[in-house]
Amino acid sequence: MIALISRWRGGGKAEARSESYYTAGQFALIRARFMRSTTGVIAGGMLALLLLMGLFAPFFSPNAPGIEGANPDYRRGAPQSIRFCDANGCSLRPFTYRYTREAPAFDLSSLAGGDLSALDAITSGDSLNASSQNRFVEQTDQRRYLQFFVSGWEYSLLKVEWLGIDIVSDRHLFGVDEGQVHLFGTDEDGKDVFSRTLHAIWVTISIALVALAVKLFASLLVGGISGYCGGRVDAVLMAITEAVRVIPPIPVYLACAVALSQLDLTPVQRYFAIAVVIGALDFAALGRRLRTHILTERNQDYVLAARLSGASSSRIIWRHLVPSFSSYIIVDTLINFPYVILAETGLSFLGLGLTEPVNSLGVLLQKAQDPDIQQNMVWQFAPVGVFVLLIMAFVFVGDALRDAADPYSERKR
Amino acid sequence: MQAFLTNTWLLWLLSGAAAILWWRGRSSQLFRYIFNRYLLALGTLLLVSGIVFSLMEVLPGDCAEKMIAYKNTQGEVITQAQIDAERARMGLDQPLPVRWASWVTDLTLKGDLGFSCAKRQSVNMALGDRFWMSLGFCIAGLLFAYLIAVPFGILSAWSLNKPWLDRKSHHTPLRRLRNSIGLVIAKLVDLQLRLISYLGLALPNFLLALSIILLYVFAGEPSPTGLFSDQWRGQPWFADSGFQWGKLNDFLGHIWLPILVIGWAATALQLQTVRALVVDESNKLYVEAARARGIDGFRLWSRYPVHHSISPLFNSVGFDFQRIFNDLPIVAVVIGLTDAAALLIEALAMTNDQELAAGILFLVALVVIGMNFITDVILAVVDPRVRNSVMHAGGH
Repeated sequence: MIALISRWRGGGKAEARSESYYTAGQFALIRARFMRSTTGVIAGGMLALLLLMGLFAPFFSPNAPGIEGANPDYRRGAPQSIRFCDANGCSLRPFTYRYTREAPAFDLSSLAGGDLSALDAITSGDSLNASSQNRFVEQTDQRRYLQFFVSGWEYSLLKVEWLGIDIVSDRHLFGVDEGQVHLFGTDEDGKDVFSRTLHAIWVTISIALVALAVKLFASLLVGGISGYCGGRVDAVLMAITEAVRVIPPIPVYLACAVALSQLDLTPVQRYFAIAVVIGALDFAALGRRLRTHILTERNQDYVLAARLSGASSSRIIWRHLVPSFSSYIIVDTLINFPYVILAETGLSFLGLGLTEPVNSLGVLLQKAQDPDIQQNMVWQFAPVGVFVLLIMAFVFVGDALRDAADPYSERKR
Repeated sequence: MQAFLTNTWLLWLLSGAAAILWWRGRSSQLFRYIFNRYLLALGTLLLVSGIVFSLMEVLPGDCAEKMIAYKNTQGEVITQAQIDAERARMGLDQPLPVRWASWVTDLTLKGDLGFSCAKRQSVNMALGDRFWMSLGFCIAGLLFAYLIAVPFGILSAWSLNKPWLDRKSHHTPLRRLRNSIGLVIAKLVDLQLRLISYLGLALPNFLLALSIILLYVFAGEPSPTGLFSDQWRGQPWFADSGFQWGKLNDFLGHIWLPILVIGWAATALQLQTVRALVVDESNKLYVEAARARGIDGFRLWSRYPVHHSISPLFNSVGFDFQRIFNDLPIVAVVIGLTDAAALLIEALAMTNDQELAAGILFLVALVVIGMNFITDVILAVVDPRVRNSVMHAGGH
């Protein structure tokens, strides 16, 4: 935001190149250039907001995401709108309405005569299906006021098992006087869609983090060994990389996911296994770039100097060659975030990724193919909006960062 | 003799091509380069077949179990000894390298991709022309992506680092106004297009396809799923009254959906690539030198940075195809296509049909490697920079 304001004030004039500009390190330069990209800054802010909400999801969400937080009296309920004003006047404190469940309209008295066709009429009519059984009416004269920083269900803010740290809190950003509030409505079990979405963000991000860490490790291994050793090792490794690169990855993930589903894994193990599969098979592109970089860098004087000082091969690779490439690696990792998230979503859509008790965006998006939800519970599409926002934020930040990390992008206009 | 030839035709074709290239390569650097590329492509294919074949080992079950399971449904009681006998008959008791070697031998001799147990027919038969259909979809989607990404990627690169307003003091006020309007329009178009194309990336393909189908459902019209509507499905292309234009019309009314969906998602990546390539080139010194010689505006951009970023873009066609095919299976499932991509999903996720899945994956890799080979050769012929480096490398 500050960057935006200073842009307008500066009015496009070339800023004075002070001493600090010439002595700034690479990362300071990248940051300065990044701050000058309007879309990048906006997308970065959006991304930070989403990540924050995902990281502190229990604090921001009024209801527990699992079945324990489900509202049995408000199944398949529509989103409850938050209002400041209505026919009875305005209030500074936002409120929602109380609701009552409409009694399903069918008449059992017609069955009294033992008439079977009356029974047929009831069972084939739509008065017995789930969505007409759960019809809610807002009581527009009964307000429920929103309360802030309320105490509700308990969650652990910070949990480090091996240190025995477990900070428990029960404060939430908002709640209502009585009952529960459902900003995005509820699903067929009465679970709050808003809370589930917030919790899903972090699960999805963390699966991408694990996958990208594995990918980085695999690429560094392949690229580092191949580039540093050269010769026959390089030829063999690059031939394998080339062969892996031409096979489309999603079918390969699918095959691995099918194989995983044969094993008896707990949800957490399965989650890590999928992240590792997605990451480990994606080393080809980054590995090749690393290898090319190391091939050109390894004949530089500083590598020779390090070798003459008696540094070992692995030390030269990890302490000298790889750091010289770190900005590229970081940018590449960020650019790949959306693709990893999409891969996870695709697997979940086919029912081979994460599955129901786990809350990932892919699992929530999977519901979109259910005709019942398409027709009767459109509000369950809300996670799609969050998902699109997240991916777009990542792509725009990645674009801006790529431009910023390019040392030649500083040009005269 | 006849039988011998039909059983080994592919081998003769492959070695014939190699022989011609080698013969021409004795006197020509270019053909020697092509010969090397050809051998490299064949080697990569061999590796790919190994990877694909061993990957399919992770799928549960094997052919014998499937065959026995089928017989089981027919009311026969099967013992373990019978399963083992069946396995021995099919050669499934052999170690993996032996089975792989026999698969590759069949493939290189007569282009035979093996036998699909779930379909109970040979893979070539099961695929039929479905693979060509998938290929067609992918190429159409690729064209769609290129048509949008190339011009607008260049525009995006051009407008990067440009101010919103022209404040150059040596321009007349009128010219400044005109330039400013042009800049604002260009930047807005760039931003809009990036938003739209990234939206195609951010909305997962299956959601996009689902929502388009849903729109049709809500509008009360028949949704364009599958390839043909019921009316035309059974009709032949050529009836007694000549070519069936109605069928073609119906076909075109259905295939735009998969092409749009996979093309849109691919556009975002293409746009990013084109933009990055052109930005890279435009920062090089030769562009600066051209500018110093007084060339500017459209002539400068079209002749220098854009011209030079065509060949890396062209070079990546093979991998772009791979990326598009990657998206096709899930879209095919949603839209209800019956092409090779849908078969691939079916083989992997439902019937665990190792042979069919391996065959399709191998064919896709074959197309990618073939495209890479062709683009390499074309670039070596057309692009003087590549040609120079080829000749240079060959000389030593």
